[in-house]
Amino acid sequence: MTSLDQLISGRADLWRGRSPSPSAGDGIPSGFADLDALLSDGGWPRGALVEILAGGPGRGGLELILPALARLSRGSRWVALVAPPLDPYAPGWAGAGLDLSRLLLIHAPDGREGLWALEQALRSGACSAVLGWPGRMEMRSLRRLQLAAEAGQATGFLFRPEVAQVEPSPAPLRLRVAVRPGGLEVRILKCRGAWSPGPLLLDSPKVSSVLRQALAGVAPAQAARP
Amino acid sequence: MRWLAVHLPCLPLEIFSRGVATGTPLAVVERSGGGPRILLPNPPAADLGLRPGMSAGAARALAADLRLIERDPVREEAALAALAAWAERFTSQVSLVPRGLLLEAAGSLRLFQGPRLFLGAVREGLGGLGYQARLCLAPTPEGALRLARAGWGEIMEDLHALRQVLAELPLQSLGLEPEVLGALGRMGLELTGGLLGLPRAGLARRFGADFVLWLDRLLGEAPDPRPIFEPPARYRGRLELLSEVHAAQALLFGARRLVLELSGFLIGRQAGALRLDWTLVHAAPPPTRFRLGLLEPLSEAEPIIELLRERLERIELPAPVREIILTVDCPEPLASRNGELFLRAGRRDGSDIRLLERLRARLGPERVRGLSLMADHRPERASRQTPPGEEAEPAGVLGSGPPWLLARPEPLELRQGRPWRGGPLVLETDCRRIESGWWDGVDQARDYYVARTPEGVRLWIFRELRGQHQWFLHGVFG
Repeated sequence: MTSLDQLISGRADLWRGRSPSPSAGDGIPSGFADLDALLSDGGWPRGALVEILAGGPGRGGLELILPALARLSRGSRWVALVAPPLDPYAPGWAGAGLDLSRLLLIHAPDGREGLWALEQALRSGACSAVLGWPGRMEMRSLRRLQLAAEAGQATGFLFRPEVAQVEPSPAPLRLRVAVRPGGLEVRILKCRGAWSPGPLLLDSPKVSSVLRQALAGVAPAQAARP
Repeated sequence: MRWLAVHLPCLPLEIFSRGVATGTPLAVVERSGGGPRILLPNPPAADLGLRPGMSAGAARALAADLRLIERDPVREEAALAALAAWAERFTSQVSLVPRGLLLEAAGSLRLFQGPRLFLGAVREGLGGLGYQARLCLAPTPEGALRLARAGWGEIMEDLHALRQVLAELPLQSLGLEPEVLGALGRMGLELTGGLLGLPRAGLARRFGADFVLWLDRLLGEAPDPRPIFEPPARYRGRLELLSEVHAAQALLFGARRLVLELSGFLIGRQAGALRLDWTLVHAAPPPTRFRLGLLEPLSEAEPIIELLRERLERIELPAPVREIILTVDCPEPLASRNGELFLRAGRRDGSDIRLLERLRARLGPERVRGLSLMADHRPERASRQTPPGEEAEPAGVLGSGPPWLLARPEPLELRQGRPWRGGPLVLETDCRRIESGWWDGVDQARDYYVARTPEGVRLWIFRELRGQHQWFLHGVFG
């Protein structure tokens, strides 16, 4: 017999209001203990979409996930960037602790092809994380991406404009990020199986200490250049 | 020895019709003596009553929209040669015969665990290429050929079985010279069994020693060496499209046939294709050319077809296509690449290669990249997009800086002595001085800072240490 629980337990696109979070601790550590404590999986969810509403590069969205990407790039799967908004700068990514040989850049001639590439990368099973900067998205496309992420067990980080906050989304995790003088301000808008307590300030020194840890574990002999 | 004869009764028609699925009546005509006569009608034409031997005029009266094509023996030969190269996937001994092939089959029979599965695989393979075939497996090449042409029996396990089946074959189906057939008919013989029972000495006097030798070979009583087909070093397949194809996606029907043909050629050579060069011929030159480049040599057809499908979706045809040509100049030996890992620590299941292949086929290789550090302090030269999966530069060049760099630095306004971008910029860090490149003439002397705009965007900016000490925006943080 298949119980209802069994049927729905494997689905990341179902948000169960009062979930006991059986998968707690299964997530990808974000590198910020305060944030992990609030996320139902104890980190970024695997096989699901994560929407980051920041409003463009330089506003902390990418900085928030770099420690997790550094960790994932040490595995055997790709960390894919689909149609990034600007040219990636290798020293920046390497300095954040990423293994560049696992980084995959996918350029797309237009939004339609970008969406196609996002779905392919998520579904392939060959990527641990897929980063996308789609513009406006229909619910239908988002759902496709969510299913692809489940199928390929990839975390799809979607950087979306702040206005997307009012649109419905199948992503089990959505947050807003902003740079504040003290560090990153994170507000969890939606998190499957958890309730947001209000904005969280992750301070900048912490960010760099996480990076230092990542670097120390990876390349002890290498220090940042003077 | 066991021989598989492959007879292609419709070859003259199929070389024209296999490129597109068509429902319009079509026939190949041959000029012999009088006017053109129908050699082979396609099924829609046959449904309208066209028969082989009919005059072209009579055929046109039956089907108004009938398309008549003159037989092209040169193309038939080329098609057979391509088929022979394809058939090498089954055996290394392939011989060309009129309108067919002869395959030495002993090894394949072991591989396919019996004749039925083997014949099934050959038939299915030929079907994929667009050919109908009559097959016969027999212990002698001549026996296999004659029975395949006659469509009389498929599997003869041994010489005894062959002789028994031949005995029942009407003499007129044996494919004898007309005068021999006439003479035997006047002797009252109808079945091949009667011929086999005649004393050879008498036959030799009447029809010559060659005829008796042929009979001995047919029955396996004399050796019958066959010239072995030498496959070409490169693959070149051509496919005529009977009706002009307008949509790139519709080309897949014919292109698939060429890929299947190529696949047999490659498997026979234990090689893989790395670069597939496609030429789509239009009514007027120039043709459309494109290259399907693969990351690792492939010999199996399906993954190639899948990539081709993606690629064709991206192609815009300037004009309808009349012919498809596929060339693979340098097949890569597969054995030599075994063990040579393309990707460091790549996925064992190959899913990472498959993803790259799909992306490259649809978006183009230049859009699927990796990122590498370069041993240079100048930001413009410290980062490069490279083929994905390459090893990073050796230790010592681990850098720092923002994840995003502008293609070229943008000058920043200066207001009240401070750099300005939508508001005054707040400098968050001490400067990092970069002075480098004096040796190659592109020298730089800059102080880099992390700066923040009033809206909270973190930027990477620098001030020139020379000239006008101008401020520039060079990068954006995450």
